[in-house]
Amino acid sequence: MIKVENLVHRYDGDDVPVLRGINLEIKEGEYVAIIGPIGCGKTTLIKHLNALLAPTEGNVWVDGMNTRDTSIVGEIRRRVGMVFQNPDNQIIGMTVEEDVAFGPGNLRLPPREIRQRVTEALQAVGMGSYAQRHPHTLSGGEKRLVTLADILAMNPSYIALDEPTSSLDRATREVVLSILRRLNGQGIAMIHVTHNMDEITSADRIMVMGDGRIVLSGTPEEVFSGV
Amino acid sequence: MGYKLGQYTPGSSVIHRLDPRVKIVAIMLLSITVLRADAFIAIAITILIAGITFIARLSPSHLLRAVKPLAIFFVLIFLMHLFFTPGAPIPLPLATYEGLYRGVLLTWRFVFLILSAAILTMTTTPSELMSGIERLLRPLRPLGISSHDAAVMVSMVLRFVPTLLQELDQIREAQMARGADFKAGNLLARMKRISSLVIPLVRNSILRAEELAIGMEGRGYHRGPRTYMRELRMTPSDYTILVVLMILTGLGVYRW
Repeated sequence: MIKVENLVHRYDGDDVPVLRGINLEIKEGEYVAIIGPIGCGKTTLIKHLNALLAPTEGNVWVDGMNTRDTSIVGEIRRRVGMVFQNPDNQIIGMTVEEDVAFGPGNLRLPPREIRQRVTEALQAVGMGSYAQRHPHTLSGGEKRLVTLADILAMNPSYIALDEPTSSLDRATREVVLSILRRLNGQGIAMIHVTHNMDEITSADRIMVMGDGRIVLSGTPEEVFSGV
Repeated sequence: MGYKLGQYTPGSSVIHRLDPRVKIVAIMLLSITVLRADAFIAIAITILIAGITFIARLSPSHLLRAVKPLAIFFVLIFLMHLFFTPGAPIPLPLATYEGLYRGVLLTWRFVFLILSAAILTMTTTPSELMSGIERLLRPLRPLGISSHDAAVMVSMVLRFVPTLLQELDQIREAQMARGADFKAGNLLARMKRISSLVIPLVRNSILRAEELAIGMEGRGYHRGPRTYMRELRMTPSDYTILVVLMILTGLGVYRW
């Protein structure tokens, strides 16, 4: 379980905090959507979930591990995978399979296991036949799926996605969303950040953010009837 | 997309399948021999390279294209030696037999250095090349050189060159759409205009580097040892070829 308690975040040099006291819990296997206008602190919040940022005040626990504890940051980041908005800034391998192998390689897994994880991760996102392709020959949607495979190869319990469907056409968006739902069905918790309402109607829970706070939280029915 | 200089040409030949470490060492040995070659060795190496090209099923015209950008340089070297080497004159003003010999040999050396490097990159994928270099650098660890960090750095450079070129195109098109003309004016004016491309490109790259670093940390990146999807393994034929090459180099270099 991920537990966020009274989280306040202020970037260095800023007077006004971006996050002003967030409290939330995300259970194993849950599909949580975080929605809100641009600049409300969504991205900052999910960066806290895998210890890319340290709280100014408050605490974040991932399966009981405090993200302030720098000695366990590696394990926290393995459990909470993070897919950023721009896939071009995440893919670092010269080929698709090498890119997916980067994470498991950092975990120092034996070559055989790395190969197995790469194959499984690419198959899970429907990119099995792209293993040898060069990243710059892929479309935007394909790159997005590669970054998802990158994270899957780490065997995460939670995946935080920052606007995973932005700048994708409708058909590709549907592909990405259906893959996310399928992975969620296999037990991986999804934390899906978006400002697109119609993507998240099937989420277990929706949190509406505004101005650094969670202003509304509940099932899609509750949230949409409250709007 | 057209054929690029020294670009990997897929194949399943013996040369393609050789361990990249053997190929890298072979190129080094070959370079030593080429730089010390006399006419006899030069002919032997020419036959060797022709043989390798044939076995690897590389297109000779693709291979020779690697030399093309430096053609003017080679002509200059040749002419300088032809005319400025003292010795017995040949029926051409100022030229000497010694000059002809040295000119041909020196030009040959440069051409074959480039050709052998081109054969390496045409028969080895960038990834194989990378793991080859990484493994060859491992013994340097006591000197504070981390082969793993070096490998990550080089492979990221190779990964981002095409992306940067794409970006450069976009920036240029965006500026042309607003009336910039990158072809007008003299050389100085054109070079000044290039700065308007370079500044946004550098700015983007710095921003990208920051996101990239965060993404890498998120995937557990740390300096120092890591593992790879494929570990290189030398086969008996790799060892055999390596030993044969070493003997040939020894013979070639210390023949006299």
